Amino acid sequence: MTALTKAAPPLARRPRHPYRAALATGRGRTGLALVGLVVLAGLLAPLLSGHGPTDQSALTLAGPGTPGHPLGTDDLGRDLLSRLLHGIRADLGIIAVAVPLGALLGCLSALAAAAHPIADTVVQRAFDLILAFPGLILALAITAILGPGRLPVIAVITLAEIPVFGRLLRTGILVQRGREYVTAARVGGISGGRILTRHILPNAADPLVVQIAVSLTVAVFIEGAMSFLGVGVRPPEPTLGAVLSQAMPYLAQAPHFAVGPLVTVTALVLGLSLVAEALNREIRR
Amino acid sequence: MTAPPLLEVQGLDVGFTTPDGRPLHAVRDVSFTLRRGETLAVVGESGSGKSTTALALLRMLPGTGRITGGSVLLDGEDLATAAEDRLREVRGARIGMIFQDPMTALNPVLSIGRHLDEVLRAHGDRDRTAVNGAGTGTGTSASTDARAGTGTGADGTARRRKSTRPGKATPSGKAARPGKAARRARAVELLRLVGIPDPERRLDDHPHQFSGGQRQRILIAMALAGEPDILLADEPTTALDATVQDQILTLLGELTRTTGTALVLITHNMGVVARACERVLVMYGGTVVEDGPTAEVLARPRHPYTAGLLAAVPRLSAPSGTRLTGIPGTPPDLSLPLAGCAFAARCALTEDRCRTTAPPLAALTDTVRAACLPAAERAEPLPPPPPPARIDRPAPGAVVLAAEGLRKTYRGRGRRAFTALDGVSLTLAAGETLGIVGESGSGKSTLARVLAHAHPSDGGRILLDGKDVTRPGRAELHAVRRRVQMVFQDPYASLNPRMTVGEIVAEPLRAFGTVAPAERAGRVAELLRLVGLDPAAADRHPRSFSGGQRQRVGIARALAPEPSVLICDEPVSALDVSVQAQIVGLLTDLQRDLGLALVFIAHDLAVVRQVSHRIAVMHEGRIVETGAADELCERPRDPYTRALLAAAPEPVPVTAAPVPAAAEAVSA
Repeated sequence: MTALTKAAPPLARRPRHPYRAALATGRGRTGLALVGLVVLAGLLAPLLSGHGPTDQSALTLAGPGTPGHPLGTDDLGRDLLSRLLHGIRADLGIIAVAVPLGALLGCLSALAAAAHPIADTVVQRAFDLILAFPGLILALAITAILGPGRLPVIAVITLAEIPVFGRLLRTGILVQRGREYVTAARVGGISGGRILTRHILPNAADPLVVQIAVSLTVAVFIEGAMSFLGVGVRPPEPTLGAVLSQAMPYLAQAPHFAVGPLVTVTALVLGLSLVAEALNREIRR
Repeated sequence: MTAPPLLEVQGLDVGFTTPDGRPLHAVRDVSFTLRRGETLAVVGESGSGKSTTALALLRMLPGTGRITGGSVLLDGEDLATAAEDRLREVRGARIGMIFQDPMTALNPVLSIGRHLDEVLRAHGDRDRTAVNGAGTGTGTSASTDARAGTGTGADGTARRRKSTRPGKATPSGKAARPGKAARRARAVELLRLVGIPDPERRLDDHPHQFSGGQRQRILIAMALAGEPDILLADEPTTALDATVQDQILTLLGELTRTTGTALVLITHNMGVVARACERVLVMYGGTVVEDGPTAEVLARPRHPYTAGLLAAVPRLSAPSGTRLTGIPGTPPDLSLPLAGCAFAARCALTEDRCRTTAPPLAALTDTVRAACLPAAERAEPLPPPPPPARIDRPAPGAVVLAAEGLRKTYRGRGRRAFTALDGVSLTLAAGETLGIVGESGSGKSTLARVLAHAHPSDGGRILLDGKDVTRPGRAELHAVRRRVQMVFQDPYASLNPRMTVGEIVAEPLRAFGTVAPAERAGRVAELLRLVGLDPAAADRHPRSFSGGQRQRVGIARALAPEPSVLICDEPVSALDVSVQAQIVGLLTDLQRDLGLALVFIAHDLAVVRQVSHRIAVMHEGRIVETGAADELCERPRDPYTRALLAAAPEPVPVTAAPVPAAAEAVSA
C-alpha cells in the first residue's frame, strides 16, 4: 500500500447551503423583508382592516387620515386599506397557484423531452406555439373563452410560464448530460431514470430556483395588467390591478387613491427581483 | 557591469477571499528579477501560486484577488500601484501574455487576420520612444547579439525583426498610426515569424481551420505584435501533444534569441524547464523555495522539494514493473496561516525548526538561492533518490477481454465523418496491465469508452471471457458493466458535485444489487479504506477534496461492483507529478491484490512504461505498434513510436549548457 492519504479534517462541520448564504446577503435580506411584509399584509388582511373590502360608506373619495379609514375611501365609499389588503390577498392567491403550476408543468414537459427524441420535438413545437402568442393577446383570447374571473388569470400565467421553465430545464439537462460524471454513472450500471432524477436534475435545478423568483415578478405584472384592462378578476372583488384601474379617472383629485397599489406592487416586484438577483449571484459564483 | 534588471519583483503578496469570507494567501513574499533577453521558468505544482504570480505582474488577478504587499518594478516603475490606464499601456505592449489553452483563447467567429489586426491597432499609435526611453542604454546584456545583425534603428533600442513597419523609424511615433494595409503586412510578417506556412492566404482563415499547435503559434504572434520586452507564457504547452510541445518550445527559444524578448515560462513540467529556460524559480505553497540557473538547480537541487519534484518526474529509462517515485502527503492549505516552511509536512529531512521558523530565501552560492534552513548549512548534495523499486506482481493469467477490429466513426451535421477507431484489435489477460499511448485525437479515449460500453462500436467484436458482448441486451449489458469498470481522466468532472462521496461510491452497489442495503455503508467504508481514504470522508462532498483524493474516490467507485477489468482513461494526467505516483502505486497494488486486468491509457510514455506489461501505441485510430513495455521503449520499430519517444522531454539539461553560465558571469 502506498502512503495512506488522510482526508483533511473537515473545517466546518457542514457548510451553509448556498441558497441560505445568498439570502443572508444584504440584497437577499432586503428582498426577503419586502416580500415578507407584503405577504404578511395579505395574510393578515381580515385582521388588519376594520371594514369589509366591499362595504360602502357615505364618505366618497375621503383623503388619507380620515377617522376609521387610514388610507381614505374610494369613489364608492369603500375603505381603501381594506381593498388594498384584500387585493394583495387575491393577487398572492393567484400567483402562488399559477407560478408553481406553470413551473411544474414546464419541468414535466422538459423531462418528457429529455426522455425521448420524438417527445422532444413535440414539446419543443408546443412551446413555440405558446410563445407565438403575445402575452396580452393570449390573455384576451383565454378570457374570451372562459369569461373574466380568477381562472383565466391563473390559466394565462401558467401558460406563459410553462415554456420558460420547460426550456430552461431542458437546456440544463442537455448540458449536464454531456458531463463526465453522467458517463461515469452509466458505466456504473445506473438506470436511465435514476441518472436523470438523482444525478442530472439536482445539478440542473439551480437556474430554476432563480427563475421562480423572476416568474413571480412577471406574474404580479400579468395579473395587474389583466385586472387593469378589466379581463381579470371580476369586480367588486379587489385586486391590486383593479384598484389601480379604478383610481385612474381620479388621479387629479385624489392621487392617494392610486398610491397604495402602486407602492405595494413596487415593493413586491423589487423584493422578488432582489431575491432572484441574490440567488443568481450565488449560483454563478 | 551592472545593468539594472528589466523586471524586479520584491516581496510580492497576493491574497484572495474565499466564498465564506476567509483570507487565502496564494502568493507570499515572492521576489525575483528578470534581465533583458533572459528566459526564466517558474515551476511548481497546482496551488503553488505560479500562475497567480504571473497574473499579479500585470494586475490581472481574477475575482477577489489583490496584491496585498510588495512591488513589481518594470524599468523602475511600480506596476503594483500604477493607474489602470498606465497598466493598459503596459499590457501587450511591454509585457505580452500567452495562455494555456489555445483552443479557447481565440474567438471562433473572427479570422486570424482580425485577431492580429485588433492587437496591432491597439498598440499601433503607441509612442515607442516614450516607452523605450527608460530602457535606453540598457541593451548591453543578452540582447546584444540579437541586434548586431539587424543594424541600428533611429533610437538605438528598437529590437528589430527584419521589420519595415512604416512609422517605426520616425522618432515621434504618435503621428504614425499604421494604415490597414500596413497592419496586414505586419500581421503576415508576424505569422511568418511564428512559422505558419503560407501566411498571406491563411490570414483570412478562422481558428477552427488551424491545429492546436498552430493556434498556439498564432497566440504567440499576437503576444509579439506589441513588440513586448517580456513574454509571459502560462503553461503554453500543457494542452499540446509532446511532439507539438517540442516545436513550440523551439519556437519560443528562437524568438527570445532573435528578438531579445525576455521570457517568463510558467510550467509544472520539469522537462519543459530543462528544455527551454536558462534560469528557474521553483515555487511551493505560494513561496519561492529555490531559484538559480537551470543547469545547476536540476543537476544539484538544494531544496528537498526541488529534489523531490525532480525525482517524481517519470523517466523513460525506468523499466517496466517499477514503482514511480512521488512525494508523500498533499500540498498545504493556503487558507491556513503558515508557521514554518510550507514543505515541512511532506519533507523527509524536516527538523523541528522547519515547523516554526519560516525560512528566508538565502543565497547559497553566487547564483543559487534556496529557502531552506538546513540547506544553508548542508555542504554535500542532497541524497539522490532511491532507484525505482520493483513491484512484485504475479504473471498475467488467461485472456479476459479481447477486441477484434473495433471501428467507431463520429458523424457530425454537414461535417466530414471522423473515424476515431479504425480496426483496433487487442487482448488483455487477468492481472495484466496493457498501456495505451497516443497523442490527442489518436482514438485512445474512444477506445476506452467503447471497451467500457459507454459508447457503442460501429463494427468489430468485443469478447469478455470468450463470449461476444459487442451488442449486449439489457440484462447482459448490466452483467458486462459489473465486470468492466472505468476510471476517468478528470477527477473534477467525473464526480457528481451534488452527491457526497459515500453516495457516489454506493451508487454502483445499489445499481448492481451486490450488497444488501443495510450493509452498504459498511462496504463503502471498506472501499474507501481500500483506496487509502479515511472512511469518515463518506459524508463530505467532492469539492472538499484535492485532485488526488478525488481520483481515489473515482477508483473506489469503479471497484465497488468488484470488476475484473478496470479501464483507466488518463487517470493521472490531471494530477501533479508528486501525487501521480501515489495514484499509479494504488492502481498497481490493487491489481496485485485483486487480480485486476488494467487498461492504462496515457499520453506520457514514461509513466506507461513503468506501469504496463505490454504497450500498444495508437495513431489516427489504429494501433501502430504493440509489444512488451521494455522492448517497445528500447527498440521501437514504428517511426511514430520513435517520434513519441524522441519528443518526451527529460528533466535533464540538454547539455551542461555553458551559455547561461557565461551570461551569469557577465552580469555578476
